[in-house]
Amino acid sequence: MSIFWISLGQGLAVAAILALSSVAFTLEYAVSRVVNLAHGEVLTIGAFAAYVSETTFHQSIYVCALVATIFGSLAATAINFVVIERFRNQKSLATLIATLGASLVLQNLLLIIFGGASLSYTFSQGNLLHVGPFLWTTLTIEVMVSAVIVAILIYLLLQRTRLGKALRAVSQNRELSQVSGIPARAVVMQTWAVAGAISGFAGFLYGETVGTISPSIGNGFLLLSITAAVGGGLGRPYATLGGALVLGLVMSIAGTYVSSAYQLVIAFGFLVVMLLLKPNGMFVRGSAQMVRA
Amino acid sequence: MLQYWTAILTEASIFAILALGIDMIWGWAGDFDLSAYAYFALGVYMTMVMTIGKPQAPVVYILGWHLPYPIAVVLAVIVVVAFASVVGAIALRSLREVHFSITTLGAVWAIYYAVENYTPLFNGYNGVYGLFDPLGGGLSYNSYHYLFLGFCLVVLFVVYLVVQRLSTSPFGRMVRAVRDDERAASVYGRNVFWAKYRTYLFGAGLAGLAGGLFAAYIGAFNPLDWKPTEIFVLYAAILVGGRGNPKGVVLGTFVVYVGFVEMTRYIPSPAARPELGPALRQILIGLLIVLMLKFRPSGLLPERLGNDGTVARRSWPERLFRTSPTEGDAVTSATAETGGEVAS
Repeated sequence: MSIFWISLGQGLAVAAILALSSVAFTLEYAVSRVVNLAHGEVLTIGAFAAYVSETTFHQSIYVCALVATIFGSLAATAINFVVIERFRNQKSLATLIATLGASLVLQNLLLIIFGGASLSYTFSQGNLLHVGPFLWTTLTIEVMVSAVIVAILIYLLLQRTRLGKALRAVSQNRELSQVSGIPARAVVMQTWAVAGAISGFAGFLYGETVGTISPSIGNGFLLLSITAAVGGGLGRPYATLGGALVLGLVMSIAGTYVSSAYQLVIAFGFLVVMLLLKPNGMFVRGSAQMVRA
Repeated sequence: MLQYWTAILTEASIFAILALGIDMIWGWAGDFDLSAYAYFALGVYMTMVMTIGKPQAPVVYILGWHLPYPIAVVLAVIVVVAFASVVGAIALRSLREVHFSITTLGAVWAIYYAVENYTPLFNGYNGVYGLFDPLGGGLSYNSYHYLFLGFCLVVLFVVYLVVQRLSTSPFGRMVRAVRDDERAASVYGRNVFWAKYRTYLFGAGLAGLAGGLFAAYIGAFNPLDWKPTEIFVLYAAILVGGRGNPKGVVLGTFVVYVGFVEMTRYIPSPAARPELGPALRQILIGLLIVLMLKFRPSGLLPERLGNDGTVARRSWPERLFRTSPTEGDAVTSATAETGGEVAS
């Protein structure tokens, strides 16, 4: 039973990071109606930016996190500016294919710059702590606390700021909000910057929790983020947050009984069940019907 | 040099068959399927385990039969189609466009990790290998490969004829009608799911067939040989050639494949950085996809549409003795100009 609780604790940490990553993914979808397959690369860029600032410039863990956030934000803004906005008047599938091309380019640029080998941060993992039935390191707790803080910040941004209000309006109807005097293009751009910042930070947390980073870490995490977002409710930040927590728990509970190598297989099973039962997301009201994005 | 070109052309013709299958699913039915590479891989694995015989001690895989090559390929295609019928039933029943792509993306990675980690299936990470000669020996290495190239080209030609025929048949036109407007097609009494599903299974079957040929060509196959991201080369090829036009798809595959292989010869690949060449190749593929989509989404040979919006079909005498451009051509060039809407 104790192994169960330990892996559940580890699952909570991964779920916290997954929540950030998939909320960023869903925000991008909300304003641009695009499934951004280059989302994983934004995470990777954040992780590598932190790596460079740690190993080359010997910065503290907080500065590294900030650098990851900034670079993630820049990367996502660039993706939006160079790819997404250019395909805005085309069908969603064309944009999806274009982001796939962008993902290939970015991932392999990272591969050329940093090589294919796994790299790792040298931050201390801290002490082992028993918290209730869980077994966590100080670092894991810091990761979870910071993820919760970011989630609260996202909530405040969406509900209490002008940008959040405009964002929600644009996500419901871009043309109509444009007509009502909201600078839709700028709002979309800022949303991508915010989403990128969250992704970059999530990428840093992920690299820190897993221990090693390589140009392809974002790719595996992309699929989990998509699953969480679609399972919870694509384009809806709070539903996605719930979806990410459920998926994280499902994976960690299942992970105690089968090898963690099957993580993505489990995630896919979860995705299929969700798509068959609640294609609009488990936290979205509405019956199962034809889903088109 | 001759051997070099034999190898390139053999691979290109095998991938052209795979591309024709993928193009049926994406070009005709409009479903951007990301799991087709898994069907190809399954075709390779199944053909191998049915021809190379019992596994030797540390190696484990299922079946281990000693069937004649053609029978093994047919059985492999059947297994692939059966497998695709499950994925297709899940992905096509009520999901479209982006949701369909997400489901197939999940499927391909799930299959990939399952095959890599579950050793008893296809020997996991180390993969399946074994020499087998469909002709039962008796030929020198070179003449065997020349013969095999000829065989692949013949198969490609036959597949092309069938696909081209199907493309202009009532079925091909119906599938495109479903792609362009599902609601209208179902009002006219077409079963939308069934149309897409049949196209999906046919495409998957072609992917399996390409896998069967590839098995005989390489003789060893492990998960590193079929990273699901490899499918993007084929999508780039289809985009370059002309989505929905079988002739364009074959042309695109040969252009992109030969082009990229030739180009990588001139990219320096220092021993210390073995990943440099493939990485540059992937970057070029990514750029090619984005630029083609943006500036010429209908490709070199656009899909030919008749004046009633269906795929044009002319009889042989018409094509031979045509003197003036027909109405159909005027519409074709008009669609080519408004090509932006093609990538649906």
